[in-house]
Amino acid sequence: MTTNPRKGTDPVPAEESDQLTIRPLGAGQEVGRSCIMLEFKGKKIMLDCGIHPGLSGMDALPFIDLIEADEVDLLLVSHFHLDHSGALPWFLTKTSFKGRVFMTHATKAIYRWLVSDYIKVSNISTEQMLYTESDLENSMDRIETINFHEERDVRGVKFWAYNAGHVLGAAMFMIEIAGVKILYTGDFSRQEDRHLMAAEIPTVHPDVLITESTYGTHIHEKREERESRFTGLVSDIVGRGGRCLIPVFALGRAQELLLILDEYWSLHPELQDIPIYYASSLAKKCMAVYQTYVNAMNDRIRRQIAINNPFVFRHISNLKGIDHFEDIGPCVIMASPGMMQSGLSRELFESWCTDPKNGVIIAGYCVEGTLAKTILSEPDEITTMSGQKLPLRMSVDYISFSAHTDYQQTSEFINILKPPHVVLVHGEQNEMSRLRAALEREHRGAILVHTPRNTQPLALCFRGDTTAKVMGSLAVDPPKEGQELQGILVKRNFNYHILAPADLNKYTELVQSEVTQRQSLQYAGSVPLLRHVLMQLAGHIDFLSETRWRLYSCIELTIESSTIVLEWRAGPVADMYADALVGAALSAAALAAPAATHPPLAPKLDRMHFKECVIEMFQDMFGEDSVPKMFKGDKLYVTVDDKRADIDLQSMEVRCPEEPSLASCVRSALQHLHAALSPVRPPPGAPPPAPPPADS
Amino acid sequence: MTSIIKLHCLSGAGEETPPCYVLQIDEFKFLLDCGWDEKFDMVFIKELKRHVNTIDAVLISHSDPLHLGALPYAVGKLGLSCPIYATLPVYKMGQMFMYDLYQAHKNVSEFDLFTLDDVDMAFDRIVQLKYNQSIEMKGKGLGLRITPLPAGHSLGGTIWRISAPGEEDIVYAPDFNHKKERHLNGCDIERLMRPSLMLLGAMNADYVQQRRRLRDEKLMTTILTTLRGGGCVLVCTDTAGRVLELAHMLDQLWRNKDSGLVAYSLLLLSNVSYNVVEFAKSQIEWMSDKLTRAFEGARSNPFALRHVQLCHSAGDVTRTPGPKVVLASFPDLEAGFARDLFLQWAPHSHNSIVLTARTSPGTLARDLIDNGGDRVIEMVVRRRVKLEGAELEEFLQQQRMNVTNTVREEVAGISSDSDSEDELEMCVVTGRHDIPVRLETRLGGCFKSNKRHHAIYPFHEERTRADDYGEIIKPEDYRLAEIVDAEGEIRDVPPTAPIKQEQDEEMSEVPSKCVSSVRQVHVKAHVEYIELEGRCDGESLLRVVSQTKPWAVVGLRASEAALHTLKKHCESEGIEKVFLPSVGETVDATTESHIYQVKLTDGLMRGLVWRQAGDAELAWLSAVVAPRTHARESDAAPEEGGGAVSLEAGAGRPRAAAFVNTVRLHELRAALARAGLQPDLGAGTLTCCSGTLAVRRMENGQVSLEGVLSEEYYKVRELLYEQFAIV
Repeated sequence: MTTNPRKGTDPVPAEESDQLTIRPLGAGQEVGRSCIMLEFKGKKIMLDCGIHPGLSGMDALPFIDLIEADEVDLLLVSHFHLDHSGALPWFLTKTSFKGRVFMTHATKAIYRWLVSDYIKVSNISTEQMLYTESDLENSMDRIETINFHEERDVRGVKFWAYNAGHVLGAAMFMIEIAGVKILYTGDFSRQEDRHLMAAEIPTVHPDVLITESTYGTHIHEKREERESRFTGLVSDIVGRGGRCLIPVFALGRAQELLLILDEYWSLHPELQDIPIYYASSLAKKCMAVYQTYVNAMNDRIRRQIAINNPFVFRHISNLKGIDHFEDIGPCVIMASPGMMQSGLSRELFESWCTDPKNGVIIAGYCVEGTLAKTILSEPDEITTMSGQKLPLRMSVDYISFSAHTDYQQTSEFINILKPPHVVLVHGEQNEMSRLRAALEREHRGAILVHTPRNTQPLALCFRGDTTAKVMGSLAVDPPKEGQELQGILVKRNFNYHILAPADLNKYTELVQSEVTQRQSLQYAGSVPLLRHVLMQLAGHIDFLSETRWRLYSCIELTIESSTIVLEWRAGPVADMYADALVGAALSAAALAAPAATHPPLAPKLDRMHFKECVIEMFQDMFGEDSVPKMFKGDKLYVTVDDKRADIDLQSMEVRCPEEPSLASCVRSALQHLHAALSPVRPPPGAPPPAPPPADS
Repeated sequence: MTSIIKLHCLSGAGEETPPCYVLQIDEFKFLLDCGWDEKFDMVFIKELKRHVNTIDAVLISHSDPLHLGALPYAVGKLGLSCPIYATLPVYKMGQMFMYDLYQAHKNVSEFDLFTLDDVDMAFDRIVQLKYNQSIEMKGKGLGLRITPLPAGHSLGGTIWRISAPGEEDIVYAPDFNHKKERHLNGCDIERLMRPSLMLLGAMNADYVQQRRRLRDEKLMTTILTTLRGGGCVLVCTDTAGRVLELAHMLDQLWRNKDSGLVAYSLLLLSNVSYNVVEFAKSQIEWMSDKLTRAFEGARSNPFALRHVQLCHSAGDVTRTPGPKVVLASFPDLEAGFARDLFLQWAPHSHNSIVLTARTSPGTLARDLIDNGGDRVIEMVVRRRVKLEGAELEEFLQQQRMNVTNTVREEVAGISSDSDSEDELEMCVVTGRHDIPVRLETRLGGCFKSNKRHHAIYPFHEERTRADDYGEIIKPEDYRLAEIVDAEGEIRDVPPTAPIKQEQDEEMSEVPSKCVSSVRQVHVKAHVEYIELEGRCDGESLLRVVSQTKPWAVVGLRASEAALHTLKKHCESEGIEKVFLPSVGETVDATTESHIYQVKLTDGLMRGLVWRQAGDAELAWLSAVVAPRTHARESDAAPEEGGGAVSLEAGAGRPRAAAFVNTVRLHELRAALARAGLQPDLGAGTLTCCSGTLAVRRMENGQVSLEGVLSEEYYKVRELLYEQFAIV
């Protein structure tokens, strides 16, 4: 299967088209509002449905208005972060989408509370709200769950999930349509941490890899280094009597940091007087989920769970809100939101930023335009929510705990999977182009890297052979050259099987049925007249008895006291014969019935008439002069553009050595004419295919 | 292509012994389940031993000893070394089952058939799978694919689908439940379309089941009447399978304030009850949709059982005062705490014994089910007693001898066992097999409590809350007397658990011996059999056969009568191949299938006219095998050309049209009604237009259309044809 991006519309129907379209509706050369459309063989799949964290209201949505929501067959959500799942309640309740939605169990459980929290904290007017709590509640039942590695099939689209690391329940989806495999990584991390396993490497090779590029060509520092730097920083800050602020996103990385801090505190009794607060009611709500879905975590946790639950912390207290907080001395506070747009982390930052003893540790990815990103460039002043300017004196440190893949991991991942196409999404334009350049340099020519912009479709061509399995009685003999093969082609989920009609029931749950018809009509005329008319039409009648005749060897006609009953097995051909017989019977009834004997007509082709018709036909087809006006015997010729085709009317042969296409054209015209003029003969076994029965 | 398919029955065929079969597909041999009966039948083991070296993979379908009991012996003593496949809950719960089984026997006898090391070794071999996860076999089994499908019956219970090359589908379904239960989903019957061979546990083929509601009510009344009469109820159940359904159900009953049960105790007694409940809590994703939804919505774990006290010894039960309900293992009453309690409680008429499952013939429970209670039965009573006097002397002598002979480390190992009751880490380090009971009680949530010691002298601000008139409001005054409920909330880990451990340790530490005696027990207690096995009933089992329409059926693990019923049903369904083997027999289900692959050219595909039939699309294909352009000897992939074009040239043979699909009269009626033809359905005949037209279903599945010549005749015919895919 080769691959040249091909543009333009294809005349073939979407179902048979070889073109795979990947179109980011969000997260194309940006971070946030992940939403990618896949289209292949008439199937439409949406990957993720997120909102943009930096925008609000309708602006935060991906460009969903560019697609027909009701045509989407399947929606897969990779993990619970709002930039991957935040638009889902809107999409489920405010659009005509009627396909199926899948996510993992843990994702669904956390998603429920995360979105509900988002509804509460987003401080915009009700008109601008995309959805309400009740919308969310009502849409929960629409979401189906899938376990890791479990294979599902939705109308021919096969898909399954791999562990992606990143956060609890994060999944990478492998999607297979008609043999073409696409791997969507979502956000992933190949580095094992305290509670999550590293992203798994699929055992099958995808044809297209759609991957995130958040960190571009960065390389993360080692986990041990990063953790010791982090714990060192924290103990420095509290050691100098300062307050340590760690703005985090409520779920995901926060749990990892809690595990690190709790362990560090239990190893350092001297620190145990310094309180660690975790200010998030959301996290508290979701702890039950963390305590339950341990099977989605790494082996360490799974082993530990048998002894005690690592998510029961000994040194960390929950802080309900700023009102419950007494700011009396050194402490460590983890507060959301992670990028300090507003909320508790912003409040604490503003009240602490003027004291050089205090410190803030940015532990995750920051989107352009947020306060967290601003202070990383170490400005002298910051602007508070109320517009006041404050000097920034507290220490600012950045340790990336965000579980996104880095260049090393991505490159290794690609090396193992060897996908011919890599599509980059979820990354800022610069990072993305740097990553693209680096990947292209490293995998010289082996892969094609694409970086589609939002709404810009990327078309890839997959030329697959359509293969079918011949089974049952048709396959008893191995195929020979030139051998005829006839049967029913059964197509299901892009699998083709060829079966004899009789085997249908054996290999599929489909059943072959039979329909018999019995049609009765009034006939007051005489029997001989009827016989005459029918004989003229059918050419031959089998007389089973005086009142039971068989016509066309498939229709039985019974005459009972002025009623004719026709009985036959339904089928397009038999139906047509039956209709003809009905017509003939009706016309016989309409005829005045002279009792005179009608000599049975020998149904025979009138050869003179046929010849006249032939000439007339060719004159119509090729012009007045193409055929001689008069001819003798059965030999005839047609001249078109100085090419001459010889015709033998007796054997129905046409010869034209110079122009074979003319010969075949003349031949088929001749055959059709002959068939039209010669009386209908009962079919030898079964009749040749005929048009479907004419409407009455 | 011909696949050799043979099934050799080591056990569980023609009679109700545990399932264990060798399935051979060409060169590859699967061991399907590896059950052991309650009496540890050695004849079966001898038979298994002969095959153990040839096995390439083991598939386990449920977590109880009936399906995997012999696994530790096979791995530990017979050297079974191939991969074992099971779902994650079967792995976890199966281990619990075997620990409990071992401990139950070890408590009363010198049990040496397998050790806990054998259990661990066996379970280390297990490859844990998820439902619907397909695994390809390697080596000899190339092309074979196994898929576990949900079966109901027990958590993680599996129906195995084995796909062999050539579109062969073998389904192994020893025990399944098509009905939804409280904590489990029913099995997926639709995914088992037209298997070529179905290995079916037919035990229930002639079994008529009572309605679930009736059975639940019966259990409820038994419990209520016994408790109110001051007696105790012993519910005989298993360790980690059906017990979950029972525990969940009873806990819900207890929660119901109107049930009046809150005053009584509900106990779950087995050697591993704490761990079973903990594991159940972390396997919500394997349970019924209803439970997962509830968890997502309310974040309340369905197995955070409020009213169930977890117990680990018979002593815990006696310490709990008053009438109580005890769920105890094992259901067969041959071993475990259930037997101990039975001995204690059976002679008193105010007690009740509830049997929940038909165990193998010959077990005490089965005897009670078949012959009823209120009679004298002879029981072998085994127990472990402390050594005294001369025997103790002798033992100590022996011990001293051993000590001098062995290195000190070993002694350290033994002694650490003895005081492991207060140190968790110790338990882990010394590799004790019982996953230790966690002693610390969990604080309200996941965070440490905010009450902390202050560095300075603490000053507590007295907050008094007064109402508008200055009267101090004491919340206590308004609290309802809900002590039991409040306690239930807090009680996550039974307070009695630590004491139990001490006892246990003493037991294994103190020199002891096992004695057995035969005792006459007059069963006066009310014996009630309430079937809660969670298996498919007879009627549904046969319906499953009719729906899936397998090519061949092997009836397994059932009485003769049940097998006879199955056979008769299969014959009426037109399934020709029905095998009813007995133990030791081999069934040869080798089939000959013809199959080859062809490529369909674009030209051919374009000429096809597709018709929809169910979820499939059909087209009439008429083609000629084209000359081979790139002949490869291995795969016959001839290109095809022709199609409609070659038909015109005389290539296509004339044929009769095929009507595919079955017509449903009520669907047709709806279609006719939409067209305004006022149809009337009755007695297999659909009439319309004041009886001048009729559509009839014949006995042989044919449909007939009758009527007088009229415009409606053609309309009806058109609508009738729309019900079919005509190719």
